[in-house]
Amino acid sequence: MKFIDSFRIVWRNLWRMKLRTALTSVGVMIGTAAIVAMIALSLGLKANAVKSLESWGNLTELDVEPAFYIPEEDRVIPDDERKKLNMAAVQELKAVKGVAAVMPIKRIRGESKLKVGRREGYIELVGVDVRESAAYRKDEIEKGTYLTGAPQEVVVSYYVPREMRDVEKEKREARMRNANKSGGGGGEVYFSRRGGGGGGEEGPAPFDMVGKPATITLTREYRIDDELKLEKKDVRVRVVGQLQKSENFRYGSAVYAPLSLVKEMNDWLNRSRGEEFGDTSSRRSRDKNQDEFVFDEITVKVESREMVESVVSDLKKLGYEVWSPARELEQINKFFFVIQMILGGIAAISLLVASIGIVNTMIMSILERTKEIGIMKVIGATVYNIRWLFLMESGFIGLIGGMTGLGLAWGAVELVNYFGKAGGLMDSLGFGGGGEEMTTLAVIPTWLALFAIGFAFIIGLLAGIFPAIRASRLSALQAIRSE
Amino acid sequence: MANGMGELTVENVNHSYGTGKIKVPVLFDINIHIAKGEFVALCGSSGSGKSTLLNLLAGLTKPEEGKIFVNSEEISRFNENELCLFRRKCMGFIFQSYNLLPGLTALENVELPLIFAGESKKKRRIRAAEILEKMGLEGRLDHRPNELSGGQQQRVSIARALVNNPSIVLADEPTGNLDSKTEQEILDLMRQMNRESNTTFIIVTHEQEVAEQSDRVIYLQDGRVVQRRTKPA
Ligand SMILES: Nc1ncnc2c1ncn2[C@@H]1O[C@H](COP(=O)(O)OP(=O)(O)OP(=O)(O)O)[C@@H](O)[C@H]1O
Ligand SMILES: [Mg+2]
Repeated sequence: MKFIDSFRIVWRNLWRMKLRTALTSVGVMIGTAAIVAMIALSLGLKANAVKSLESWGNLTELDVEPAFYIPEEDRVIPDDERKKLNMAAVQELKAVKGVAAVMPIKRIRGESKLKVGRREGYIELVGVDVRESAAYRKDEIEKGTYLTGAPQEVVVSYYVPREMRDVEKEKREARMRNANKSGGGGGEVYFSRRGGGGGGEEGPAPFDMVGKPATITLTREYRIDDELKLEKKDVRVRVVGQLQKSENFRYGSAVYAPLSLVKEMNDWLNRSRGEEFGDTSSRRSRDKNQDEFVFDEITVKVESREMVESVVSDLKKLGYEVWSPARELEQINKFFFVIQMILGGIAAISLLVASIGIVNTMIMSILERTKEIGIMKVIGATVYNIRWLFLMESGFIGLIGGMTGLGLAWGAVELVNYFGKAGGLMDSLGFGGGGEEMTTLAVIPTWLALFAIGFAFIIGLLAGIFPAIRASRLSALQAIRSE
Repeated sequence: MANGMGELTVENVNHSYGTGKIKVPVLFDINIHIAKGEFVALCGSSGSGKSTLLNLLAGLTKPEEGKIFVNSEEISRFNENELCLFRRKCMGFIFQSYNLLPGLTALENVELPLIFAGESKKKRRIRAAEILEKMGLEGRLDHRPNELSGGQQQRVSIARALVNNPSIVLADEPTGNLDSKTEQEILDLMRQMNRESNTTFIIVTHEQEVAEQSDRVIYLQDGRVVQRRTKPA
């Protein structure tokens, strides 16, 4: 028998008993609608919660610090037991399952200024392990390339080129403004500068600094006879790339450089006056104590958001304190797990009842069609043909219920979203805070729609197994006799 | 026992209904051979076991004892599904009460065996319409059974029995519900089909006219074959 033909026969049979088909599928419809609406709601709420967390920073990046207090034991960890953020720690963190990269960071101690062409600005110089961070920071590059490992290369954050000013020009303009002011009408000039009008060059407008040579100016202070003196040092670097705009505002004007460069700079800053930058003798003595080198921060990049919770708990066991908005995820997940369990239970019960309804309907219609089944068996239907036809029939009842249920859920979701938006339900539930982005309370992703329909179909098929076997076992002879 | 297509052999068949203590013996020591293309009438008084024998030949019931060969297959050893497939390929059925599906038109009823056989829509439409026309129903293809007379319904059912070119057609009192004029028409149609395609026909009947027009009559009495009579020439 061809599939299309069995499909036609099944459809005809269902159509013949429209009312019964409809009533039976109502059970499945309600069950499916319940499941879909519930999952949609919890997905939507969770997405909103995660979104509001994300505005605090990248959820897969964890900042690791040594723990100094064990809440379970109410004990402060003494200094010598406390973890140190050294190379050993980096190795230990790398070994944790789910960790994609471990990025130790060393900051510059002191003031640093970046100068490119005529523009300059204060920056936060961050030393990073090139190899470890390259793997995923590469994807965050907007222009140019990421650090390649060559010395004296730097990568700037999105905000750096937007915050650097042309100091000379501003001074000049200030002089001109002062000159104009004495001539009257100074206010207008001020406004036109602000608005970027007049067709002239704007103020701190972004400019492309990728590929350009730059100078980092370090300043160290020291005292001679109680008198504070400043000493400056220029380091020539090259800007090789610029990162994308990031949700993470922690490093607004960060400039990323290889760890070794930052180490050398720190050495210079720490040394007393007169010693030269990159002095080999003192560097060697530091290298000897490589293990003792302590980083300022270690950022751990987790493979995926799903892994975050397990990584966090592993890190805690190792004795680290973890700071990340992802910690909130734990709580959120617990909350939604409970919700999903409750709703899943409701839906499961309604679907169980619905499938019993299908079994009942199918058995009834087999009784009614006993003779028909017998005739079909005599004129050439096999046992499998009969089984297939009845299985399809109950599967279709499930499918109809699934599709109407999906429609019902969709309507409910639209309604909830409409009123949720109007009533500010998000805020009252405590997931607000992000403003306009949090609009949809519930979402039905494609996978959920497909899953719901497929699931309802399978419920129908399962409910049809017993009746179908019963139908196929009917003796053709007995069936023909029954009038 | 080797048989060719359209041949049928019953060997030492005994059959009874019921199980355990209340066993009702119905057929005793039946031995029959029917050759290809024969038109055989199965006669006997009511309750003599005609329908039971026919159902055994159709594989709708399994004989308690003995063997039944149809074509070269021992169908008494087939399982349920094999029997279904065998009927689909080699057998046609005509019932006293027509047994058409009430929801389907004449054409669709005749198509049904071909649907189960997996025939394409176009081919089976042509074949079903062709055989219905042979039955003189060219204007009634889209009528449902309740829009047809008894004789017309039986023609549809003959068409349905013949649509997949069976080698054997079994009929249980095909004219039992019809008047004598219609009975003769139906009988003529069956004989015509029997001659045209050399299909073996076995017909259970009470009517003397039917018995007289067949090649051979097998008489059953109280579950035994009592007399084999070839039609006088
Ligand atoms: N399913 C059954 N269970 C028990 N006994 C049965 C069954 N079917 C038939 N019988 C018995 O078997 C015997 C033969 O019945 P069968 O239907 O074969 O007779 P028949 O020759 O076809 O009669 P008729 O001409 O009235 O149709 C009868 O005595 C009947 O009571
Ligand atoms: Mg009978």
